[in-house]
Amino acid sequence: MVWQTIWGQIVDLSLVAVLLRLMTPILLASLGGLISDIGGVINIGLEGLMLMSAFTSIAVGSSTGNWAVGVLAGVATSVLISYGMGFFSLKMKVDIIITGFAVNIFGSGFTIFLMSKIYGMTGNYSPTGAPRIPVVNIPFIEDIPVLGKLLSGHSLMVWIALLSVAFCMFLIYRTPYGVHLRSVGEAPYAAQSLGIPAKRIQYSALAWSGAFAGLAGAFMSNGLTNMFVKDMTAGTGFLALAVVLLGNRNPIGILLGSLIFGLASALATIVQTVPNSPIPSQFIQMIPYVVTIAALVFFALRNKRRLATMP
Amino acid sequence: MPILLEMKNIHKVYPNGTAANRGVDLTVHEGEIHALVGENGAGKSTLMKILFGLEAPTDGTIEYKGQTVTFDGPRDAIKQGMGMVHQHFMLAPSLTVSENIVLGDEPKKGVFSMFRDRAKEFKEVEHLISTYGLKVNMQAKVESIPVGQKQRVEILKVLYRGAKLIILDEPTAVLTPQETDELFDSIKALVSQGHTIIFITHKLREVMQISNRITVLRAGKSIATLLTQETNQEEISRLMVGRDVLFRVDKIPAEPKDVVLAVRDLGALDDKGTLALKGVSFTIRGGEVLGIAGVEGNGQTELVEVITGLRKATTGEVRYQDKDLLAASVAEIRRMKVGHVPEDRQTAGASLTSSIAENLILDHYRNPDFKWGPFINKKKVKQFAKVMMDTFDVRAQNEETMAGALSGGNLQKVVVARELSKNPLLLIASQPTRGVDIGAIEFIHREIIKRRDGGAAVMVVSAELSEVMALSDRIIVLYDGEIVALLDNTPDLTEQEIGYYMLGIKKQELEATR
Amino acid sequence: MKSSKALFLEVGGILAAVVTALICGFVVILLTSSEPFTAISALLLDPLSSTFNIGTILNKAVPLILTGLALSVVFQSGVFSMGAEGQLYIGAFVGALAAVYLPAMSPWIHFPLVIVCALLGGALFGMIPGVLKAYLNANEIVTTLMLNFVAILTTSYFVNNQLKAASGGGYAKMENISKDILLPKIFPGMAAHAGIIIAVVAVIIVYLLMYKTSIGYELRLVGKNGHFARYGGIATRKVIVVSVMISGALAGLAGIVEVLGIHGTFKENFSASLGFDGIIIALLARNHPVGVLIAALFYAYIQVGAQTMQFGSDMPREVAVIIQVMLVLLVSAQAIFTYIKQRYARSGQKAVK
Repeated sequence: MVWQTIWGQIVDLSLVAVLLRLMTPILLASLGGLISDIGGVINIGLEGLMLMSAFTSIAVGSSTGNWAVGVLAGVATSVLISYGMGFFSLKMKVDIIITGFAVNIFGSGFTIFLMSKIYGMTGNYSPTGAPRIPVVNIPFIEDIPVLGKLLSGHSLMVWIALLSVAFCMFLIYRTPYGVHLRSVGEAPYAAQSLGIPAKRIQYSALAWSGAFAGLAGAFMSNGLTNMFVKDMTAGTGFLALAVVLLGNRNPIGILLGSLIFGLASALATIVQTVPNSPIPSQFIQMIPYVVTIAALVFFALRNKRRLATMP
Repeated sequence: MPILLEMKNIHKVYPNGTAANRGVDLTVHEGEIHALVGENGAGKSTLMKILFGLEAPTDGTIEYKGQTVTFDGPRDAIKQGMGMVHQHFMLAPSLTVSENIVLGDEPKKGVFSMFRDRAKEFKEVEHLISTYGLKVNMQAKVESIPVGQKQRVEILKVLYRGAKLIILDEPTAVLTPQETDELFDSIKALVSQGHTIIFITHKLREVMQISNRITVLRAGKSIATLLTQETNQEEISRLMVGRDVLFRVDKIPAEPKDVVLAVRDLGALDDKGTLALKGVSFTIRGGEVLGIAGVEGNGQTELVEVITGLRKATTGEVRYQDKDLLAASVAEIRRMKVGHVPEDRQTAGASLTSSIAENLILDHYRNPDFKWGPFINKKKVKQFAKVMMDTFDVRAQNEETMAGALSGGNLQKVVVARELSKNPLLLIASQPTRGVDIGAIEFIHREIIKRRDGGAAVMVVSAELSEVMALSDRIIVLYDGEIVALLDNTPDLTEQEIGYYMLGIKKQELEATR
Repeated sequence: MKSSKALFLEVGGILAAVVTALICGFVVILLTSSEPFTAISALLLDPLSSTFNIGTILNKAVPLILTGLALSVVFQSGVFSMGAEGQLYIGAFVGALAAVYLPAMSPWIHFPLVIVCALLGGALFGMIPGVLKAYLNANEIVTTLMLNFVAILTTSYFVNNQLKAASGGGYAKMENISKDILLPKIFPGMAAHAGIIIAVVAVIIVYLLMYKTSIGYELRLVGKNGHFARYGGIATRKVIVVSVMISGALAGLAGIVEVLGIHGTFKENFSASLGFDGIIIALLARNHPVGVLIAALFYAYIQVGAQTMQFGSDMPREVAVIIQVMLVLLVSAQAIFTYIKQRYARSGQKAVK
């Protein structure tokens, strides 16, 4: 029964649509994680940033009636908080991990606070008639049988996410900023000795991660669901961290990692909707985490073997 | 040749009172290779940091191209056409060679110069490489190229920024002989193109080979500036070592007993995986002090670490009494009454955020005498720490004082106290008095001799030749991972003679020494 | 002199951080509430206004003390584990299995058995990231975060399927645990259950373990200076694994005490990030067991205060989050604490001269 459903969705290509939808927030957030990681400021606060953006985006979007304003407000909030992270970790010397941890608590709690303070809701907020991030229907192509389903009818944010991969490639490898970013993350003293402002670069790296996490969060409330639910990110930020690690710290690897994790989520969703499924959805949801640990072990073993040639 | 750089009467006193430069004069002519030589701690690095704007001098003036200059930081120095190749490479490993060379100063293009102009970058780097003959694959990642090429990248980096005066800080320390020769070719090419080189080293063979003039530093002062053609290695080494610091230790002649430690054909790799010990053999008897002399980095660290179980040996054997030390763990070796004063007390020798008492009980906390049931007997620990602090004259408020709050000398006394508290049969003391005040030096030396007279076998490793000579009964000299001399410390043994061995100028027939 | 002054400065700094964090919370209340003073008084005073509320504070503090202890142990060995949450679930789950499915026996045997199962469950689950860290140098932050999800999802699967209580009324939980081995109230009629006694005993044991025994000595030494520990012949890898296992056991204990004291059986997703709160407690307490006790009580007081505030005014209880976040950040701000110490050191030098 489950197999038929999955097969059916593969055949009629609706799995692709689900996959792209579910992959988008993971991909965006992990691109953000990537840039801060490359700059040597690991951001484990993606989850909190996403929540803040998700709430701001739908709140502003529904009150202005304009999804774009909502998304921008969400991104702005997220960037602002990531600057705050920079202040605490770079200026006040709080460990960057602890700063990220604090942002996660903040994002989870403060969105609930705002929701209940502004809307008097505690569990979720679903405004009627809130504007959604639009779906892109490509004329002519949408009428072509297979290609139409593959390319047309996806949310604008899906395309933004895919373009972001190219953008990050460009930013990291083709601009002076990208080279500076990589040098600051890897050899801060070398960078400083050549007059590269390491701290400013790290602030900006956090800001980039805030921007991408902001897009991811905004998509979750304004695109995927059209509502805000408390803790709606449900670990996506942590998945993104894992993707950064698995993706070998480059945008293409991250795209692949996000696709795999997106697929796991898509399958879990299908399995959950089919009654009496023989495969428990929990185990499918677990795949990304187990894969990450396995990959870590694999990398570690490889390093160890390389070190073993040295004493 | 016109004068390019003149540093006059440079003094540098650090806030903690250390005087690193105490009146240095250095004059560098345009287009020459000027060697700056001196022992560790003679003040070479400090002088170059001052020149490069990394440190401000306490006194003195710098004239560059006929003008008095003051640099606020390396950027000022770079702007003036100076470049420094640091001993430890300042490279980002995952960036490519050309990315590292142009880092911070990339050719740009496009709107608002937003993008890297990689075509221009490649062209410029290519041009640099061909102009100076510094061959290196510019598209390769730095992490994947050998050390010699990394150094070329550092030199290219400096050249890319238009340096005319290039400072090379111990450039050959990490190079193989072949790579060194290649480096020298490059240096000559640079000079022929109008660059000036300051070459910092303590390897005299290289000085003779490459330099035009030599300035010798000793104990923070410039002793002499010589023309290379008119001098020789013996003269330079005499000037370098001098006779300023003299350790005097009163001791009776040694009465050697049975062999305690026998090392045979020992080999080991360093952290980078290159062979650092190449078949070392020696013995130490109870009741004698064996000194290990040598310029730092010639295998001393690895030798000590292998004997104490901290590093794996690749060949050979180490017998201690009748036991095989290579098969024993660090803990087992420590339990066999082997005391080890490590060369770096700040990282290996002590836990700075623990109390003095906690540092002292490292070998005793599992000892039933220090226990009360499953618990560590605090009273006993306190008592023990107090006795130790009294015996070894550790000056601190009490035994609960954090080790990190102690002065260098007092901290070293804590380390020595701990290592002697188990009455070692074999004591290995690495740089036992480095950075320690005179009073503590005397005290620690007396303690070491006391143990020798009590029948322990002692091995002293020190970068201070005078310390080795003051303490040892016999001396072996390590050069490039090999024993090049085994000498009896008789009154007619001179520092100069040992110096020749240390610098690789002389070498005994090894079979004769055994 | 030196050490007691240093302690004084440290505690003073932490107290200042606590006050500042509270002020931040008050500012938010002042800005957003129409009855700010009612809200603040409900936040600060109401938790102590009834024995019921005090009992609730104690109940809230119990798991926080235990997870705080769990994390203080690993942090002291220099391992930044974030895995208490997962270990808590596994410990509670294994303990609850023993509580529900073991054949009937005397509660005097059954209860300790349940506790031991929980300790073992947490310890063994903690061993995974410990071994990965010690022997393969795999980043413990990532492994523990991932393993948390594995633990939560695995236990959720079982209580949704094979182990789902028939009488659960649609809730995903195990069968109810026999009343005999549930934790009794300390005093009849009071909310507080006997878990607080277990927690206090755990504080004492961890204190003795960390500061009075050989293993504690080794553990702290490995965390303070791994080079030195290795030089001294301490098997640093084993010590790391042991510390993560002790931590896991304590987290498992937190889980089973919560199950036996509050929920009566294992329920899906029952923890709501107790394991992460433990991180805050350990940071606040500077990893000291006695500090953990105090910090957990304070934290529980703020949580109950947030609830009484929600009940007694127009402020939602999530305001407490502001206070928590500022606490975490301020207490961990090395720049501030270094500054305090330098100021003191300088004035101290002057005084000597």
